[in-house]
Amino acid sequence: MEHQKIISEVQEIFREVLDNDDLEIQENTTARDVEEWDSLNHIQLVVAIEKHFKMRFTTAEIQHWKNVGEMVHCIAQKHSG
Amino acid sequence: MLFNSVAFLIFFPVVTLLYFLLPHKLRWSWLLAASCFFYMFFKPEYILILGFTIVVDYFAGILIAQQSDPKRRKQYLLISLVANIGVLAVFKYYNFLNDNLTGLATLFGFKNPVPYLTMLLPIGLSFHTFQAMSYTLEVYRGNQEPEKHFGIYALYVMFYPQLVAGPIERPQNVLHQFHQRHHFRLDNLYAGLQQIVWGLFKKVVIADRIAIIVDHVYAQPSLHNGFSLLLTILLYSFQIYCDFSGYSDIALGTAKVMGFDLMKNFNFPFRSKTVTEFWRRWHISLYTWFSDYLYTPLAIAQRDRGKWGVVFAILVTFSVSGLWHGASWTFVVYGLLHGMALSYESLNKKYRKRAAKNTPAWLYAPFSLLTTFFFCSAAWVYFRSGTFAQANYILGHVFTRQPGHNYFEVPGHQVWGEPVKYLGVPASELFGTLALIPLLLLLEQLLSNRKNEAVLQRLPAAVRWPIYYSVLFLLIFLGVYSKNNFIYFQF
Repeated sequence: MEHQKIISEVQEIFREVLDNDDLEIQENTTARDVEEWDSLNHIQLVVAIEKHFKMRFTTAEIQHWKNVGEMVHCIAQKHSG
Repeated sequence: MLFNSVAFLIFFPVVTLLYFLLPHKLRWSWLLAASCFFYMFFKPEYILILGFTIVVDYFAGILIAQQSDPKRRKQYLLISLVANIGVLAVFKYYNFLNDNLTGLATLFGFKNPVPYLTMLLPIGLSFHTFQAMSYTLEVYRGNQEPEKHFGIYALYVMFYPQLVAGPIERPQNVLHQFHQRHHFRLDNLYAGLQQIVWGLFKKVVIADRIAIIVDHVYAQPSLHNGFSLLLTILLYSFQIYCDFSGYSDIALGTAKVMGFDLMKNFNFPFRSKTVTEFWRRWHISLYTWFSDYLYTPLAIAQRDRGKWGVVFAILVTFSVSGLWHGASWTFVVYGLLHGMALSYESLNKKYRKRAAKNTPAWLYAPFSLLTTFFFCSAAWVYFRSGTFAQANYILGHVFTRQPGHNYFEVPGHQVWGEPVKYLGVPASELFGTLALIPLLLLLEQLLSNRKNEAVLQRLPAAVRWPIYYSVLFLLIFLGVYSKNNFIYFQF
């Protein structure tokens, strides 16, 4: 799957979980850039993404993401793997 | 050494001046020596505890990074965590654990053979052990290269501005700064000094003035009318905020003068509209620590349980973070109350969002601000009280009146030959102290950012300088200079 396509799907999930319809995310977006993206919402984002893409991340993978790009990269890898 | 002491008034310029005069390769040893001196000013022998954890964590960091076998890596991490938590358990929680053991033994008709130990809590123990654990955890997670230079690693734990009360730094944030060559810069000096003065102002003028009233009422709450108790509870919120954020400001300011950037620890917490938001703005360095190393791993492991997994992780995290403050069940309750509030907010998010949409903003915003503030103030009663009995008494009598007085009355007491005192201070001092709160809120408004620049900086110099001088003037003439400790030093 293409990165761009994953990003736009992830963006939809972000908008729904964080309840912000105007949210725009990019590869270099981090939790610092999005006010509602705190550690409480982070888990809900992970759960929603796992459900949507039908995959499961390891704890180490989740803790390694530093921005949206790394998260998307991880999704793409799992998708093709 | 206290930041609000004469000793520090000499220590700080001497350390800073020599820091810049020395060649770069000697600076780390100078800072380390100064930090040791700073720490030993309290109780010299406790530096041995620091030395022990520094040696263990230094080698643990290197060994973790060298190993590729995941099992071995985990073992080395465990050694480091056990050493740090072990030191905490012995020096901070020994008697607490022992008391509970005695209680449990008595319940079953046994006698607890373990003796009670009298020892002084090493200052700042909870702060530097947490900062040290952050190092080995980050090396373990692969986010930080191990520090090969023993002296620099020791400095990471011991850097005097944040050694005894934080901010609890992360290795990624500061370790590299100790290797960098810092040049003296006038703008750093101004910004740092400004922050120091502002921190001192909050501590010795606001917090210590309020402390006189709060200490008086807390000494014998049953002597006071309901409204006085309410006033005290609300005042304490401002006291603890000014005390602790004042400390952080002085820490950040002293580091800034030498060219170091430490993390922000407070972000106008009383502007929070929810308790969840409050924890993004209050003691940020501790709560990101708990979020990274306890809450997130727990919540990830429990994520299949849906909302209740999150609630479980929140309650565990907040109980532990309550206990972090002190070895007493009152601190656990303090944490648990906040945990419950966060759980409530996380479960009712959709409902609250709808309520916000259906209520006019001019009503909803102040309502949320005040409920959050009142909730935090109530929870702090458990933080401030030594016992449940006292906390429950105060909270239970906030809305009652004493016989013979109406609710809003603050009865005066007079000792012969002295002026009438209200809540332990003369009327003029009481009003003066109350007036400090709008002043605090006003000054904070000036210090907050608009378009990445503090409002204050955009004012013309003719307005700015009188403000600086007034703050300095108040600091000198209204400050309480009787060696008052910072609240968070006991942790």
